[in-house]
Amino acid sequence: MKQSRAEIVAFVGGQILPHEADVRAWLRRSGSLAPDIDDVIQETYCRLAGLESVAQIANGRAYFFRTARNIAIEKIRRARIVRIDCVTEIDALNVVDDEPSPERVVAGRRELGRVQQLIEGLPERCRQIFTLRRIHGLSQKEIAARLGVTENVVETQSARGLRLILRALSEATVQDQSEVGKAHELQSVRKRD
Amino acid sequence: MSSNRSASEIDEEAADWAARVDAHGLDVEHDPQVQAWLRGDARRAGALLRAQAAISFLDRGRALANVAPAVDTVVAERPSRRTLIVGAGGAAAAALVGGIGLWTARPQRLDTRLGEIRRVPLADGSLVAINTKTALEVAMKPKSRRVVLKEGEAWFQVAKDPDRPFVVAAGPVRVRAVGTAFSVRRGDEAGAGVDVMVTEGVVETWIEGGPTPRRRLSAGSKIVLVSAVSPTVAESPSEIERSLAWRNGEIALDGESLEQAARLFNRYNNRQIVIDDPVLARERFVGLFQTNEPESFAAAVAATLGAVVSDDERTIRIARARIS
Repeated sequence: MKQSRAEIVAFVGGQILPHEADVRAWLRRSGSLAPDIDDVIQETYCRLAGLESVAQIANGRAYFFRTARNIAIEKIRRARIVRIDCVTEIDALNVVDDEPSPERVVAGRRELGRVQQLIEGLPERCRQIFTLRRIHGLSQKEIAARLGVTENVVETQSARGLRLILRALSEATVQDQSEVGKAHELQSVRKRD
Repeated sequence: MSSNRSASEIDEEAADWAARVDAHGLDVEHDPQVQAWLRGDARRAGALLRAQAAISFLDRGRALANVAPAVDTVVAERPSRRTLIVGAGGAAAAALVGGIGLWTARPQRLDTRLGEIRRVPLADGSLVAINTKTALEVAMKPKSRRVVLKEGEAWFQVAKDPDRPFVVAAGPVRVRAVGTAFSVRRGDEAGAGVDVMVTEGVVETWIEGGPTPRRRLSAGSKIVLVSAVSPTVAESPSEIERSLAWRNGEIALDGESLEQAARLFNRYNNRQIVIDDPVLARERFVGLFQTNEPESFAAAVAATLGAVVSDDERTIRIARARIS
């Protein structure tokens, strides 16, 4: 059954986007270059946008890793010269999505704190507008009236804030990166006394 | 693809469109201008979805600010009719109470069944995450907020209100907070003690009628209170986060033995994991699993150890593979 766009957007916002920094970090570790990573991520969202329904995706994180991996492999195969080690490296990493480590759980738990951090990190005007709109749920018109500016200014600032937040979401923090790094080492490790 | 713009340029344009769609409530699928822009490059659809998803992600921040509490439920099993009513009616009840200016005199009862995990917003803006097989009662009064944990485990994110202390009672144990987050867990057996773990701020704990003085605990500390035994405080923030993985319906293992892991899964499921071999039971594991998927845990164990899994309706049996 076809889902509404709002449902799909909510799913992507809650289950896909929060893992983007991890997927990027993982692609970086497998040796992909920054512009390639951007393309892989964008194509993943494109595939999601093309879906009639996301109801069958049980685990957004796993789906994100799996799709990004498939796209990355397709890209390598399409390239004229295939570096075998590139393919095997990405292939070898395929376990990441199924068994995230406790460290990664901790990162996920910080999600809501991250929302606040993202908003707090915006320039003053943007932050004000974002807080009124997203946290207090005011309309663009109400915000304009309250701040004594035109609706146009509110819209421009909203767009600017969103750009900054999108950029921040794709950049893993130093802490996140070390966590992801550790997580990989812990992958399917069995401890013995 | 006609355009040779980079992915990040498309992302910036998409942010502008997403902001416009949000501000004017445009219908992406039918708005001619949005559709015209989308048709210009196949990659734009993905970028717009991502930008809109970011807005939706940010809206989750509302729950934090306690403005419009969202009911977020993770259920492994079908919740009972009664819990459904409480869950869906939570926000409405809060609005009703606030509107009339009265506090509910009768305590609100919240239960979870085996394997069920729920998040419920409380009338004061606090949030409670309730683990499997738990029963609690919430009483909101003008001068106090009181929760009685009758059985099981719950994590509380308390809305700040210095005039109304938030107190959780678990048997004789008391945990008091003003604006903070912490979990309280009662042991399964009688007299097994109460675990208190603090994830934010400071709480005060004591045993009602006991001789031990009140103790203050800050974020990242854990205390086990057993009547008549002096409590032990441990500091380990990462350990606490891991113990609270259940809030996402997950079990995080970091060196637990197979036996301990089985006990964790058995808290959530009718189908119980049984380990036949004592040597196998001592093997240690690292990994993240869903509370309601003991089968996939058993399969992972079997794959790692070369063990065999046999299951029926009631049990999942893990045994050493016979050497042929």
